[in-house]
Formats: sequence, structure tokens, C-alpha cells
Amino acid sequence: MSRDPQGAGATLAELLKSPHVTSPTRQVLEERLEARHEPRALQADEFSRLQAVARRLVPPDPALFVPGEPDLAGAVDHRLASGLGDGWRYDDTPPDLEALKELLDVLPVDFVNQPSEGQDAHLRRLQERLPHAFEDLLAELTEVYYSHPLVQVSLGVAPFADAPGWTRIGLDEREEWEPQVGGAAPSPERHG
Amino acid sequence: MADLRDMGRQDSGPHGSGRQDFDAVVIGTGAGGAPLLARLAQAGLRVLALEAGEAHPPEAMPTDERAQAGLFWRDERLSAGANPLPFGNNNSGCGVGGSTLHYTAYVPRPQPDDFHLRRTFGVGEDWPLAFSKLEGYFDELEGFLGVSGPATYPWGPPRRQGYAHPPLPLNGAAQLMQRGAEAVGLRTSPAPNAALSRPQEQEGYGLRPACTNRGFCQAGCSVGAKASMDVTFLPLATRHGAEIRAGCFVTDLERRGDRVTGVVYRQGGQERRVRAGAVFLAAGAIETPRLLLRLGLANSSGQVGRNFMAHVGTQLWGQVEEEVRPHKGIPGALISEDTHRPEGADFAGGYLVQSIGVMPVTYASQFARGTGTWGAALTSHMRGYRHTAGINVLGDCLPQPGNFLELSDEPDGRGLPKPRIHFSWGENERRMNAHATRLMTDLWTAAGASGLWTLERSAHVIGTARMGRDPRRSVVRPDGRAHDLENLYISDNSTFPSALSVNPALTIMALSLRTADGFLAARRKGESACDRGALEQT
Ligand SMILES: Cc1cc2nc3c(=O)[nH]c(=O)nc-3n(C[C@H](O)[C@H](O)[C@H](O)COP(=O)(O)OP(=O)(O)OC[C@H]3O[C@@H](n4cnc5c(N)ncnc54)[C@H](O)[C@@H]3O)c2cc1C
Ligand code: SF4
Repeated sequence: MSRDPQGAGATLAELLKSPHVTSPTRQVLEERLEARHEPRALQADEFSRLQAVARRLVPPDPALFVPGEPDLAGAVDHRLASGLGDGWRYDDTPPDLEALKELLDVLPVDFVNQPSEGQDAHLRRLQERLPHAFEDLLAELTEVYYSHPLVQVSLGVAPFADAPGWTRIGLDEREEWEPQVGGAAPSPERHG
Repeated sequence: MADLRDMGRQDSGPHGSGRQDFDAVVIGTGAGGAPLLARLAQAGLRVLALEAGEAHPPEAMPTDERAQAGLFWRDERLSAGANPLPFGNNNSGCGVGGSTLHYTAYVPRPQPDDFHLRRTFGVGEDWPLAFSKLEGYFDELEGFLGVSGPATYPWGPPRRQGYAHPPLPLNGAAQLMQRGAEAVGLRTSPAPNAALSRPQEQEGYGLRPACTNRGFCQAGCSVGAKASMDVTFLPLATRHGAEIRAGCFVTDLERRGDRVTGVVYRQGGQERRVRAGAVFLAAGAIETPRLLLRLGLANSSGQVGRNFMAHVGTQLWGQVEEEVRPHKGIPGALISEDTHRPEGADFAGGYLVQSIGVMPVTYASQFARGTGTWGAALTSHMRGYRHTAGINVLGDCLPQPGNFLELSDEPDGRGLPKPRIHFSWGENERRMNAHATRLMTDLWTAAGASGLWTLERSAHVIGTARMGRDPRRSVVRPDGRAHDLENLYISDNSTFPSALSVNPALTIMALSLRTADGFLAARRKGESACDRGALEQT
């Protein structure tokens, strides 16, 4: 259990009880807070490797409050087991489950037990070798993580507070129920 | 309030469980199918719409990106080429209302010169009809849908009527774009959006309330403020007697000679058939050519699946000192069309610039895909989400022989061949992208953004069954009727001969109404539409 310096847990609980969240939205979020999935599509050893990969690709952000570890690998396996895709794939990449197994297969058998620097080096090579399959996995893990309502609240936003709507939408405007992040704004970093 | 869930009643007509007759059967209920369904029903025809997707009533829509996966077409499509196009939540729709359920409702009109790129630049393809043939439909649509926009719109020919409602409020990204545009000397205007800034009464639906600035348009509007087809044309259609059947996937068209006589579809594992006086195929620019190729129909020109286009849609993102919270407000609040025909440009056509809002999961996913960033670098970037703001361009795209849709030999869950879509930018798209990236970088830097990154991206699926007068070079006539068949019409994004430098939905709807009017006029005259050379003379 990580610390919750900003009180994200309490803020979310407050919001979910309040009339600011419509019932279809509340239902989805409450289900997500509970969700944990046993592996069905992957073998046990593949699944533990996927968990280790997920921990490096989208590591729990120490600045954000989420109780326990978000079940990223479980969500991916669950989706694969359901047979549902996202409507497309790269033509040069095999079907989702096959592509994932191939990706995990390339990793050394002791990947799970390696120190994180070693794991990262393997992952960088994987990203070069199977760029499309890697990108698909990275995107899915990212989507699962950032759809967690506690992660969103910790980022200082509550987009799911969908009723009755927003009136303060301009720069530096905040509704009183919107979560605040303590301290100064993070300094933007440069990318690419 | 109309309940679209009840509109899928099966075999309740006078024919019981036997086959039913309809004057017209419409396949697909998106921007291309819904307007003509309403028009034909209003004229008293017995019409049926078959929709592969389910109904998604607004009051049941969660404000959640992942939960809304059901709004997209999830049968797998294969993306090939140098700029492979993502489908799913990027470029598809599935449901009663089609892709309009999750479009952002950005509805600038095309300008007259968009329709004759070849005449102006010597490349691309001219439309067989002029802007003036659609202007009346744009007027009608902006009123009916309840488009919110500025009192005077700075670009294009003088408008005959104002927008139905005042513009929607500007969010943080729009304010930043105003600031940056002023600094670099670009004119801006509040954008036309098909979402209500004031309540509007909608025939067959009831009162549509004003937009609550919820910003989740791309995950479906739970308010009914956005003019998706399920709260506008479809309730109008059912009010006038149209029947809509959800969860009905069309697999075959029955023919006799050069007439289509019936439609075969699957519903809940059962195969069903209806007889049809005419068929309007409005399944979108992927499923329409896929069905025609599978059936070997309407393709004497060999053009079905060809001329596939997607708008240059590059986005530029950055972070600012101020808090933006980019999930709030109508996503595309501000526009500039100063780049419609940029001076001294080294490419044909042009583009528009818009400010864009973004939902958190979409942003995170795009950032991860677009930059390949992972690990602590990804999570620390995302900590700046509430300071993030973006702009986007949307520009023309030229047809090329290498960009097309074909049937693969890989079957999907229904046992039908998956479509493979080849897409690569040509020289024109690359040059336009470079021009746009320079301009957006200047603009966002002037607005005070840093940590800039670009997402080179293409948006909207266009072409694949283009219209034209020459049956050897096009699939449908200017009125939407297939050259090869007497009573098969196509009404969706596949008929566009060129991409236009604006978002497509308004033009798709205008063409849909025009196709209905042409069909009704021919019917009233008691002639078969195929004899009417006049219709082709636009
Ligand atoms: C995220 C996103 C944002 C967008 N934003 C904008 C915007 O701001 N402005 C704009 O102008 N455009 C926008 N668009 C594009 C716009 O939504 C589409 O161009 C437009 O809806 C296409 O209309 P259509 O009739 O061609 O197809 P669709 O609206 O996709 O409708 C096709 C329908 O046919 C159904 N169908 C397909 N095959 C079958 C079959 N075999 N049997 C039965 N039914 C079938 C599908 O389920 C679907 O409902 C956006 C699109 C996306 C994906
Ligand atoms: S921003 Fe407005 S139109 Fe868009 S989903 Fe929200 S309420 Fe609907």
C-alpha cells in the first residue's frame, strides 16, 4: 500500500458518492476498482513474464496513489481471453495473442528474476526488433493504467465527474470539486 | 423521448415471420444512412434500416474511454503501407448512429475550390458537382442539427444564413491557440460545432439540452447535446414510420438482372431476408467496398476499393505553465482556415488548424504509441497531463494507385475475409505535413508551450467507391446510384472523389439528402431513375 499524500483515495470516494457522477459512469468505475483477473489466455510462466514486463513499461508512478499494484497484465490477458480486439492490427504483425506470445518468447527465461536495468536493456532490444507488437502492448498497458480512476484523480483531474457539467473550462480555471495536486506544476519536459 | 432500443422490433409487420417488402432498405445508420432514411420516410415510403451495431441511448453512456469500446467497429482490419491507419476508436463506428455516436461534431463547410483540385492544381480529382449544388443542404443541415458557430464566419463565400446557435465556450486549448495565433498573425474564429449551445427541440426525439462542456464527445455524448444521428435524423425517421433494426449485419444482396431485389442479413445467429424496391448502401468507406468486393457487385470499373484517402491530421502537443485540464469543453472550439490555400505552398490543396481537447487515456495511449516512450519517462510525462494542450491540422489527401482496400485471405469471427487497407503518404501529404508542423510549432511556441512533440497521423476513411460521370472511372453517378445497377445507391464517405480540406460528416449528410431527393424526384415522375440523364447533369 503506497502513501496517499494528496488524499486521492478520499477525494475519489467523495466524488463517487456525490451527484457529480452519473450512475452509468459510477458503475463502470466501481467495477474497475474491484477488477482482478486470473490468467486464462496465457500460460502461468508467460503471465508472470508479462507482469514483469508491465512493471517496467508502465511502472506504478510513486507520485500517484493507487492501493496495491494495478492489475495491468490481468487486464490484457482478460481481453485476449474474451477474443475481442480493438478493431485493427498492423498487417505485418500476427493476431494479438500470437504476437504477445512471440514477444514474451524472445525474452530470456530468467527475465522475471533479472534486476530492472537488465530487464530494461532487453525491453529496448525488443522494441527495436518487434516494434509493432511492442507498441500495441505498450499502448494497451498504458490505457489500462490511466483509466484507473485513482490514477486520474492523482493526476489532478476528474473527467468522470460528468454531472451536471463544467462551467470553469478556461486556463487556470477549476471547479471546486476538481482534485488539486499539491505543490507547483511539474516543469514540462522535452520529448523527441 | 424516442427510445431507439425499441426500434429493432423483428418481423412485427403485416407479413408476420415471412419475408417483408420495403420500398427502400438502408444499410448502416451513420452520417450517410440516417439523413436519407428520414427523407424517404417523410415522403411516405416504407423504409427499413439495418444496422450491424447496437443502440447506445445517451442516458446509458458512461463518461469513460475504455467502457466505450462498444461504439467502435471491432472486427479486425489489417493496416498496411508506410503510414498504416489505425481503426477502432480512431477511424470506425458501429451502432445505431454509426460513427456520429463518437465524432467530435466539428462541422466547417468545404469551400467551393475544394471541389475542383484538379482544375486548380492539375492533380487529384474534381467532383462531378459544384459547391452550389450542396449549399442549400448545408443551410438546412446546420439548422436541423443545431450547429453552434460564430455570427460571422471569416472564410469561404458569404453565408446566406447564420449558424443556428451562438458558439460554444472556449476551453484552455482554444485560449492558447488564440494567444499563439495572434502572435504569429493567423486569424482565428470560434469553430462551428454540431453541438448545442442552447436547448433545441428535435422532432421525434424531444428537447435536446445544451452541451455541458463534458468534453467526452469521442466517447459518446450522454447529454444529447451533440448532433449524432440517434438524437436527430433517426428519431425523425421513426416518427415518420421508418423501422430500424439493430444488431443486423448484412451479408448479401439478392439480384435479378441489373436490379437488387432483396437484402440478406444475420441477426443473433439467424439468417433473415427482406425484399427491397431499392437499396441504399451506407456502411462506411471500409464496409461498403468490402461488401461489394465480396459480392462482385458494382465494379465494372474496377474502382471499388481504389482511391482510398485519409486526411493529413497531424497533431502537435505541448505543456504550459497554466492548468489546462484538456478533457473539458467541446474538443474543437477554435479554428483557422487561413491555411486553406497557403501562399507560396509547395503542395496542392490546403488544410485547417484547430485547437483540440483530449481525454486522459487517449492522450496517454497516443503519447506512448507516438513517441515510443515507456517506464518512468512515460509516467513523469503524464504527470503533466493537466497542463497539456494540443493543436491539430486537417488537410486534403490525393488518391494514389498504391492506396487501396482489398480482401485478405484471413477470415474474421464471422468467417468473412478481413479487409486489408494500404495507406502511405505521397509527396503532397509529406509536404503539407512539413508545412503544417512548422506552423503549429511556431504557434504553440508563441503560446508559451514547451516539451513539444508531434503525432503524425491521418484521419477519416475516404474514397473506395467514388462518384463521377464516367462509368469507366467511377463506381456511382453524381446522384449516388451505382453505374452498374438500377436501384443500388451508395451514400457514405466512400463516394468522395477527393478528400476536401475539412472534416467529412457535414458533406456526407448533404450528399445523403441530395441522393434521397434525386431518388424521390425520379420516383414521382414515375420513371426509373436510370433513365434520367437529367439527374447526371448536375
Ligand atoms: C473519433 C472520430 C472523430 C470524428 N470527428 C469528426 C468530426 O469532428 N467532424 C466530422 O465531420 N467527422 C468526424 N469524424 C468522421 C465521421 O464520424 C465519419 O466520417 C462519418 O460518420 C462517416 O459516415 P458514414 O456514413 O460513411 O459511416 P458511419 O457513420 O461509420 O456509418 C456506417 C454504419 O454502417 C454500419 N455497417 C457497416 N457494415 C454493415 C453491414 N454489413 N450491415 C449493417 N450495418 C453495417 C456500421 O455499424 C455503422 O454504424 C470522426 C470520426 C471518428 C472515428
Ligand atoms: S462536450 Fe458537449 S457535445 Fe460533447 S459530449 Fe460533452 S455534452 Fe456532449
